[in-house]
Amino acid sequence: MSAGLEARLRGILAERYHDRHPFNLRLHGGDCEPDEVRRWVRNRYYYQTRIPIKDGVILTKSEDRAFRRGWIRRIHDHDGDDRNQGGLELWLQLAVACGLDRDETASLRQVLPGVRRACDSYVTFVESHDLLESVASSLTELAAGAYLGHRAEAFRKYYDWIAEDGLDYFLSRTHQAPRDAEEGLAFVLEHADTTEREERCVAALEKKCSILWQLLDGVEWGGRRPQLANGVRLRTGDEPMVVSPERAIRIGGSGASILEACDGSRCVDEVAVSVREAFPDAPNGLESDVYAFIEEMERAHVLELPE
Amino acid sequence: MNAPRPLNLVAELTYRCPLQCPYCSNPLQLGAVREALDADDWARVFREAAALGVVHVGLTGGEPSARSDLPEIVAGAEAAGLYSHLVTAAVPLDPDGLAVLAERGLCSVQISLQDADAEHSDRIAGTRSFDRKQVLAAATKKLGLPLTLNVVLHRHNLDRTREIIRLARALDADRLELANAQYQGWALLNRAALLPTRSQLDHAAGVVREECAESDRPEILFVLPDYFRDRPKPCMAGWAQQHIVVAPNGLALPCHGAAELPGLEFWNVQEHALAECWSDSPGMNAYRGEDWMPEPCRSCDARKQDFGGCRCQAFALTGDASATDPACGLSPHHAAIEEAVAAPKEDVFRFRFPGNAAD
Ligand code: SF4
Ligand code: SF4
Repeated sequence: MSAGLEARLRGILAERYHDRHPFNLRLHGGDCEPDEVRRWVRNRYYYQTRIPIKDGVILTKSEDRAFRRGWIRRIHDHDGDDRNQGGLELWLQLAVACGLDRDETASLRQVLPGVRRACDSYVTFVESHDLLESVASSLTELAAGAYLGHRAEAFRKYYDWIAEDGLDYFLSRTHQAPRDAEEGLAFVLEHADTTEREERCVAALEKKCSILWQLLDGVEWGGRRPQLANGVRLRTGDEPMVVSPERAIRIGGSGASILEACDGSRCVDEVAVSVREAFPDAPNGLESDVYAFIEEMERAHVLELPE
Repeated sequence: MNAPRPLNLVAELTYRCPLQCPYCSNPLQLGAVREALDADDWARVFREAAALGVVHVGLTGGEPSARSDLPEIVAGAEAAGLYSHLVTAAVPLDPDGLAVLAERGLCSVQISLQDADAEHSDRIAGTRSFDRKQVLAAATKKLGLPLTLNVVLHRHNLDRTREIIRLARALDADRLELANAQYQGWALLNRAALLPTRSQLDHAAGVVREECAESDRPEILFVLPDYFRDRPKPCMAGWAQQHIVVAPNGLALPCHGAAELPGLEFWNVQEHALAECWSDSPGMNAYRGEDWMPEPCRSCDARKQDFGGCRCQAFALTGDASATDPACGLSPHHAAIEEAVAAPKEDVFRFRFPGNAAD
């Protein structure tokens, strides 16, 4: 074990933890509109659902019974057990306290694509790296305990329209996170016994910080207001098309109605809601399809999404 | 014949142009082509094109602004519901003229640049024009129109690809086309002076990658030229499939160079409806689809992507317009390309102007 490693890991968190992300600065500074808070709650729920899954993957990597017995507690913390309702349930409680529909949130259908990619990449990371790196990637918990305490305070202060029981998740984590972090840190310091292993732990924590960062980028994307890019015209009719200086792209009829909704007045979330209202019985994947189409049109320079 | 739906009309309004680029895609017999269509004729062509399914018209030339009735022509495109895109060298068009075009419904502007700085650009253009181009680019942005810059790349400017990209960025272009010279017409005549080396191209491709990583503006289009790719370009997305070119004399063509292919009969929009020219003229049908294809194309899976390459290039290099494009490594005539790439380079240009024209 190396005393230097712990300092390096804490240094990474000081520099790259998502408390510095512009969205979190606004959230904690009381600058978010209710819709933005709801967007964050709805999307961050997807992250919550990934945690027990990645912890399950971590369990499969250890041959050590004692390690597994300790680690499995994390799954119970999130999924709940006979005594506790668990973090996922508490998060849904937060969603309801924010005015979101419980089932709608739990269906995950409004999870934005950048958020989905970020969270999925966490699971993929753990699947494709060894136990040590996987545990190292969980060490963002070192910063989480204190941060969630601030968050609960900020919510009470600035978002008093959220009922107090909505904050139970944050409060429960202010106890769990430091304990998890202690254990994780001890494991990493014990097992990172070569320079090469230390470097892999450092890289794993950096990766995790960037995942949390991208998650918030993905949340912010949902608040952007897509509009046809300068010079792009939409032709509706039998065979809808978008025409731009050098291209004509045929789009399906549903694509045309999505583009019509992208008039600069609605954010991505609202565009998806308007399509859902038009097709209330469409399968769960409808919103994802809308997001994917908007992303594709952004890449093709048909839509622009000013920040 | 069941003709596909065309999407794009290339309206060659005139072959007059104050510039003299040695790679111009206009025919070598410049003077032989009469300017036969007035603004009303063009308006009718635009309406007929829209009825055929065309959504987009490129107003090009020569230099379209050499025509004093360009505003009326733009208005005709707007009235027909077409997306109008002006391709200009910025001479004689000035910002006031452009404002008039925007008022008449012009949708977007492409300005050709010859190089990254006045000295080199004006040398290739054979005319002082670089400064005007910058002024017109700024005017385009000020009018809120999307701006594309087009630079034909060749041996004498490829090494300034980075400067060209930076210039396009400084001009706030939305799109930059780095179009490697295509060796037909004037460019074929000047091939020994224009052909780059492989290492120049590789270097430029690396520069494009670096600059794209740095910023997503402008959007950059850069395609390795067919001479260096071993496979042909999917010329015009297939003969008479998506694009109709109407030449200044009214001939409806499948591409810029088709009128120079011997033995093909194209029809004129003064005598036939555009729909007839498109679907029934013998020339349009000569290489439409796959029936005309010889081996090796006929049995090659790539024919759906590259359509056997360019008919004009096949004719220019093999004497047979129905041959496989020699740019293809599978063509029996591919040696013609390899020899040209290996041949000693020259530095003398034959600039495009009537005294150098073939008529
Ligand atoms: S390529 Fe040059 S000479 Fe030819 S039309 Fe364009 S600007 Fe004029
Ligand atoms: S043989 Fe013909 S179809 Fe095949 S790659 Fe060459 S040009 Fe294309």
